[in-house]
Amino acid sequence: MIELYHVQKDFRGKRVLRDVSFQMSRGDFVFLTGPSGAGKTTLLKLLFRAEQPSDGQILVNGMNVGAMPPSRIPELRRTMGIVFQDYKLLPTRTVFENVSFVLKFLGVPTQERKRRAYQTLRMVELHHRLSAFPEELSGGEQQRVALARALINEPELLIADEPTGNLDRRLAEEVMKLFTAINVRGTTVLLATHDQDLIRGSGRRCLTLDRGRVLEGLVEPSAPPPAALLERGGPLAEGEP
Amino acid sequence: MSGRRTSALTALLDEAAQGLWRARRMTVVSVLQIAVSVFLVGVFFLTAENLRGIVETVKDETAVTVFLKAAASEEEKAEIERLAMESRLVARSRRVSTQEAGARFAATWQSLARASSSLASSPFPETIELDLLPDATRSEALPGFLSLLAARKGADDVQFDVDWIRRLRGAVALIAVWGGAVGFFLALGAVFTIANVVRLTILLHRDEIDILRLVGAPEYLIRGPFLIGGLAQGFLGGTLAVGVLYLAFRGVLRYVSATHNVLIGAFIVRFLPPSACALLVVGGLLAGVIGGSIAVRKKHLQA
Ligand SMILES: Nc1ncnc2c1ncn2[C@@H]1O[C@H](COP(=O)(O)OP(=O)(O)O)[C@@H](O)[C@H]1O
Ligand SMILES: [Mg+2]
Repeated sequence: MIELYHVQKDFRGKRVLRDVSFQMSRGDFVFLTGPSGAGKTTLLKLLFRAEQPSDGQILVNGMNVGAMPPSRIPELRRTMGIVFQDYKLLPTRTVFENVSFVLKFLGVPTQERKRRAYQTLRMVELHHRLSAFPEELSGGEQQRVALARALINEPELLIADEPTGNLDRRLAEEVMKLFTAINVRGTTVLLATHDQDLIRGSGRRCLTLDRGRVLEGLVEPSAPPPAALLERGGPLAEGEP
Repeated sequence: MSGRRTSALTALLDEAAQGLWRARRMTVVSVLQIAVSVFLVGVFFLTAENLRGIVETVKDETAVTVFLKAAASEEEKAEIERLAMESRLVARSRRVSTQEAGARFAATWQSLARASSSLASSPFPETIELDLLPDATRSEALPGFLSLLAARKGADDVQFDVDWIRRLRGAVALIAVWGGAVGFFLALGAVFTIANVVRLTILLHRDEIDILRLVGAPEYLIRGPFLIGGLAQGFLGGTLAVGVLYLAFRGVLRYVSATHNVLIGAFIVRFLPPSACALLVVGGLLAGVIGGSIAVRKKHLQA
C-alpha cells in the first residue's frame, strides 16, 4: 500500500527527513509520532504529492508518487481520504457541500450525496449542522467536518494529520474509535499525532520521527495483549538509529 | 456510463452557477461591460443597416429622373419620352404620377409618410423615370443628353442620382469599417475585462482552488466553471445589449412618429435582422469565453 525507500526531504538546504524507509500493507493501522516540528506533516504531504521528495522513492498503491506526471495527481488523491492539520475547509461552502464535494465530481447524484453526507456527519456527531458554514463552527467541529469529508468516499487509505488536535478527551476517544472501526472495515490508516496519550495502550505499530529519521516501534496494548504481538518485541522497540 | 457523464456535466454547471453567484457583484460588472461593448457595436450595425436600406431602395431609381412642371401638357411629356428613347442611352421610360410617388414613399418610409400626408399639398411632383442602359453612365454623350432634357419645355428639373448614391454607399462602407474597428477594440476591452474579473476571482479563491486540488478534484472541475462562467456572462451581456438596442430602436420610432422628426425618421427605419442579432450575442459570448480562457491559463492556476 505504502512503500518508502531512502526518502529525503530538504527545505532550502535544511534537511527535514533523512533516509526514511518503511512499508505499510493494506489494512494496516499505523501511528506516526514525534514532537512538533519533527516532520510528520511533511512526510504525509509526500504521500499525496503536496511536496516532492528531494531523494528516494515513494510508492502508494503501486503508483510512483514522486515521479508521476501532475495530470495523474488528482487520481492519486482520490484513492485516499486526507484529514489536514489545518482542516482545509472551503469557507464559502456549507458543511454539507464541504463534505459531499468529493462525491460531486465522482458523479454521485444529489440525493445519494445528501444521504451519505448525513450518515458520515452522524458518525462525527455533526449531522445537525449540515447547512452551517465553517466559520460558524468551533475548531473541534471544523476538525470533525474535515474528518467526515475524508471518510465519505470510503477511501482505501486514510491519512490523518493531528485529527484530534482540537478535540476534548471524550470526542478524541470517539474519533479514535471511529478510526478503529474504519480500519476494521478494511481501510488502511496512517495517523500522525504528537499526542502520546492518544496512542497509549493502542497496541499498534508506531513510527517515530526523530531528527529526520524514522524509528519503528510498537505501542504496548492496555488490555491483556494478544500473544502474537508479545512475541514480536517489547514496548516501543526501537530500530537502529 | 452516460448517466455518469451527465452528472459530471451537472456538477460542472452547478459549480459554474455557484461560482457566478458567489462573485455576483463581479459578475454584474462584467455582464454590464460586455453589454455596453456589444450595444455600441450594435448601434454601428443598426446605422449601417439602415443606410444600406436607403441605398437599396433608391437603387432602382438610379437612372435619370425628369421632374415635370405641374403645368406640363401631354405633348410636352411625350416629347421628353420620345427624345429619351431616341438617345440610345435609355433602356426604359416610365411615368410616375404624384399619387404613385406618394404611395411608393409611404411604403418605404412608413414613419415619414405620416409626416408628409399632413402637408397641405403633395410634395411629390409627377416625374418621368428613365432607366439608363448599363454603359450609359460612362458615355460621353450623357451630359449633353441631360442638359437637352432639362431644356425641354415641360421639364422642371433633371436629376441624375448616381453621384449621391455613390457617396451614400461610400458612407455605408465607412461606417461599416469604423463599426468594425470600434467593435474590435470594444470586444478587446470586454475580453480583458472578463479575463481580469475571472483572474481576480481566481486570486480571491486561490486557497479554495488549492483545497479543491488537495481533495482530488479533476482539473476540468477547477477550470471549467471559470470558462462556463465567462461564457454565461458573455451570453447574458450580448443578449442584454441586443434587448436594450431593440428597446432604444422602438423608442426612437415612437419619438419619430410623435414628433414627425423627418431627419431621424429617414435614417432609422428597420431593426437588425435576426442573423445580425445572433452575431452580436455570439460576439459577447466569444468575448466571455476568450476572457475566461485567458484567465485560466496554466500560469494563473498553477498549484
Ligand atoms: N514549506 C516549507 N518550507 C520550509 N520549511 C518547511 C516547510 N514545511 C515544513 N518546513 C519545516 O520542516 C520541519 C518539519 O515541519 P512539519 O512537517 O510541519 O513538522 P510536524 O508536522 O512534525 O510538526 C519544520 O522545521 C518546518 O519549519
Ligand atoms: Mg504537523
